[in-house]
Amino acid sequence: MSNVVMEIENLHARIGAKEILKGLNLQLEEGKVHAIMGPNGAGKSTLSKAITGHYDVEVTEGAIRYKGQEIVDWEPEDRALEGIFLSFQNPVEIPGVNNAYFLRTAVNAKRKHQGLEELNAAEFLREMKALVQELGMKPEMINRSLNEGFSGGEKKRNEILQMMMLQPDLIILDEIDSGLDIDALRAVSEGINKMKDGKRSFLVITHYSRILDYIEPDYIHVLKDGKIIKTAGPELVAELEEKGYGAIEEA
Amino acid sequence: MAQEELDKAVSGEYALGFEIDIEEDKVPPGLSDEVIRFISKKKEEPDWMTELRLKAYHKWLEMEEPHWGHLEYEPIDYQSISYFAAPKKGPESLDEVDPKILEAYEKLGIPLEEQKQLAGVKVAVDAVVDSVSVKTTYQEELMEKGIIFCSISEAIRDYPELIKKYMFSVVPMNDNYFAALNSAVFTDGTFVYIPKGVRCPMELSTYFRINALNTGQFERTLIVADEGSYVSYNEGCSAPMRDENQLHAAVVELIAHKDAEIKYSTIQNWYPGDEEGKGGIYNFVTKRGLCEGENSKISWTQVETGSAITWKYPSCILKGDNSVGEFYSVAVTTLAQQADTGTKMIHLGKNTSSTIISKGISAMKGQNTYRGLVKIGANAEGARNYSECDSLLIGDQCGAHTFPYLESKDAHGQVEHEATTTKISDEQLFYLRQRGINEEDAVSMIVHGFCKEVFSQLPMEYAVEAKALLNLTLEGSVG
Amino acid sequence: MRPMLLGEMTPETLMEELGTSPSKALAARRLAQLGMPTRKSEAYRYFDIEPLMAHDWEILRNEASAEIAESEEQIVITDGRVTALPKGVEVQVGCSDAIDLDGNHFDPLYYLGHLLSPEVISIRFKEDAKVTLVHRFTQPGKLLAYRTAIYLDANTHVQIDERFEGEQACGALILSGSDVFISRDATLTLIKDETLKEGDYVPILSHRIKVDSQALCRLHSFDFGAGSGLQLIRVQLHEHARIDADHLLYATDHARRGTVSQIVHIGQSSVSNQRAKNILAEKARGIFDALIKVEHTGKYTKAHQNSKAILLNDGAYMASKPQLEIYIDDLEASHGSTTGQLDEAQLFYLRSRGIAKEEARKMLILAFANELIDALEDERMRERLHASFETAYWGVTNVTCMETCHGCEDLAAGTAAK
Repeated sequence: MSNVVMEIENLHARIGAKEILKGLNLQLEEGKVHAIMGPNGAGKSTLSKAITGHYDVEVTEGAIRYKGQEIVDWEPEDRALEGIFLSFQNPVEIPGVNNAYFLRTAVNAKRKHQGLEELNAAEFLREMKALVQELGMKPEMINRSLNEGFSGGEKKRNEILQMMMLQPDLIILDEIDSGLDIDALRAVSEGINKMKDGKRSFLVITHYSRILDYIEPDYIHVLKDGKIIKTAGPELVAELEEKGYGAIEEA
Repeated sequence: MAQEELDKAVSGEYALGFEIDIEEDKVPPGLSDEVIRFISKKKEEPDWMTELRLKAYHKWLEMEEPHWGHLEYEPIDYQSISYFAAPKKGPESLDEVDPKILEAYEKLGIPLEEQKQLAGVKVAVDAVVDSVSVKTTYQEELMEKGIIFCSISEAIRDYPELIKKYMFSVVPMNDNYFAALNSAVFTDGTFVYIPKGVRCPMELSTYFRINALNTGQFERTLIVADEGSYVSYNEGCSAPMRDENQLHAAVVELIAHKDAEIKYSTIQNWYPGDEEGKGGIYNFVTKRGLCEGENSKISWTQVETGSAITWKYPSCILKGDNSVGEFYSVAVTTLAQQADTGTKMIHLGKNTSSTIISKGISAMKGQNTYRGLVKIGANAEGARNYSECDSLLIGDQCGAHTFPYLESKDAHGQVEHEATTTKISDEQLFYLRQRGINEEDAVSMIVHGFCKEVFSQLPMEYAVEAKALLNLTLEGSVG
Repeated sequence: MRPMLLGEMTPETLMEELGTSPSKALAARRLAQLGMPTRKSEAYRYFDIEPLMAHDWEILRNEASAEIAESEEQIVITDGRVTALPKGVEVQVGCSDAIDLDGNHFDPLYYLGHLLSPEVISIRFKEDAKVTLVHRFTQPGKLLAYRTAIYLDANTHVQIDERFEGEQACGALILSGSDVFISRDATLTLIKDETLKEGDYVPILSHRIKVDSQALCRLHSFDFGAGSGLQLIRVQLHEHARIDADHLLYATDHARRGTVSQIVHIGQSSVSNQRAKNILAEKARGIFDALIKVEHTGKYTKAHQNSKAILLNDGAYMASKPQLEIYIDDLEASHGSTTGQLDEAQLFYLRSRGIAKEEARKMLILAFANELIDALEDERMRERLHASFETAYWGVTNVTCMETCHGCEDLAAGTAAK
């Protein structure tokens, strides 16, 4: 077994008064693609929020260890600087914040954290422009306000653009395929696949198996009622397709 | 729509404008220490109450009538009003209630008799004609649960400790000019006390009617919901057609303790006067609720279709942490009616929240004003308010005005206010008519749609009544 | 003239002191009707006017007209007198009878300003122009009253960049403002940029703007910093006239700043769009008290108003009073007002990309302000206001190209070629 990049142990978390995660255990391996599948309301998005330190989620019990460190009490930006990246299911629109300015601030925050020199505007823009082209985004996206007025597909591509610029170590893709047409889905998955380098880990959260045709998973975890109830290889996808989540019982 | 048709139809008769011929026991017009002593004596009140009335009267004498409302009306001559009128026969039981009063209530469609159940739901009714409570139904059944539901006069005699504790505690006697006047001369009204942990098993209702000529009606309502209790209370109002203006200056005080909830609904249909602005009720009302305890809730719902002048701001003081205040209002002004109405939401406790939904409909020469205050205190951490004030205009002689005051001192609070002013669009009308709905029904459909959020807050039976009333008020103007 | 207590003056005593003329008589009559402002006056409800009214003011009087220097493009008014003028701008200084006073202004101090002002400085534009109008105050602790009038001839397009310099005039009270007349088919862009410190002069600027048929007024006010100051604006819109009014307020310390306005739709098919953004820090109080009134004659009016406020900490205070007063059914009118804090979801998004909390907050505040700054058409003005806001907000300006630029294509293309 390869190195474990993240280990989640007996995680209990709630949103408001409602407990959503009820003792979840999960190990993510370095360089592997893990898919979390489960019915609506199982706690998939809550898991991604717990990992990234979202304000809605309160962890009441258990641990999230990332690269050997307990991160439950970390600020969201510290988790990001250490390499955790979440591609949001519904990226928020931020009118008035220029896309390029935002991303350069983020990239330079990370470079500073790594002890690297900050990128100047020109260097940064050169890199960003190339990736924008590669992802098939319109060049004017660079200077538009962050996600404002973007279509569903444009928002997702913008998430992938940020991911490629920030070069994270653990990538969480929350329903990356929702609302994407086939072309957008192809472009987005190509971007993701390019990021695979044998070191970087992926956590693909999805309700449908469609995205897994494009991003081949190494492991499938079934999340139901706040717990991982089954972990298996990619062959489980077919079984789920056929029988649905109802048929999967706790192992 | 042809304007003429509209006007003709809107000026439709006031359906509740009948007068009942009963013998009245009335004091001569005018106000003095003697008149106040007389009223107090007539109500067989203890001395402490007489003293409080006199104190309020003297405060009132020093106050000035407020004129900041967006209202125009002839000066009120307070010395020409009679401050006490009671049907001469004092009723002891239902059988003794003057048959003519019962007849009047029947015309109003109010089930005064205990057997009569409105829409199959038990409704306890306290009916107030002019100045006196004529009958309170279901009293005994409510008593079994410890619920007090009686006229305020009885309460002053029978529950002096509760009255001393709560009356004037939310609306101080000198709160404003009209409240001070009411405190001096209030003649009757309703008192409700719901004990700890009790959920009132039925709707409680009071119907107010001004019958006598040249009288004012000054009722006072006090509702106390003790910890963990719940009550839904409804009031309805009407008055006969008169050429003169009659004054109505009521005070309502609500107190909700910890975890208690009070739902207060009003269907106000006082005589609105005629299209020239002659006659009609001057309705100057002070209504205020105090969410005293944690997690308490007070909800005001009002459907205002009557009165020549309406000056009314049912409010909530959200003192308890996590307490909730709501205000849902439909106000219709047609003919020459003027309404200046809205609410105040005063956030003092942490995580308090309030919702304001106000729908104003103006037709003919009606002037409709929403006036509201949302105040988030510096200690009301996490307080939230949402207000929505929409106006619908029918015809080009009317007016719709929105005057919100939004004051926030809390960085973790949120205040949101939205308002729109629209008319019924020709496209909407055409669409419905193209589908075979006649113009009148189409307009009524749109108006009801406009008011839906508010009507849905009313208890079912009253929602039906409110819709019927709205149709009646706007009959023809809406088609 | 002897010092005077404003609160104790009556229109009669003023007339006695100042002599009579038809317009002064009108002003005195209206002032008598409205009464001197008190704590209870609606227009000054949130401003705390009483100490100013109760103060024993010495009124600043100027000697005979000063020498007027010729400037590039600046009109300079120093302590109420014109001291510099660009070529081609026609300025007349005359008594207030020369102008058509607004007989229905809501602000008593509009009339008091006219009563106390010895004359009116009238600036007339006969052709297109871009000018800077500098108001300079040099005398501390005194009351300075002067009025300006701005005339745009038909079909002219004028941009006025209005600035204020008054570091030396601490504790002064400035009663000023403009009567603005925008003739048919003319366009006025008026940009006001005023940053105050605690203890600076107190400007009470009372304007009246008359927008004639098919004329357009673009009003952009930028009020930054601490101190006290209020602008009161009454706008009259005639047929097919339009006003776009933006107000950005960033207030700190114990500031009491804001806008009180009335936009009156008189003519049919007139349009108004008013947007206010308020950022309040420390103990600052922001005021946005704005009425849109549609008269019976204002058929097919479109009137929209929106106010947003962010309270950066407890103790900051926003008083928002958006109002609609409508006497006609064939129109489109709406207003919205929100007061709150920065959006949590936006803040989280930025932080989840590794941007520190404080930095993310600043970014969002800048973005909030940007919307109104970016609405400026003139690029130079845009840059200046970005700098002006940042100086007020951060104490320094560190505008980089990317924060504000909308033409980075060039830079990107340029570097790609390198």
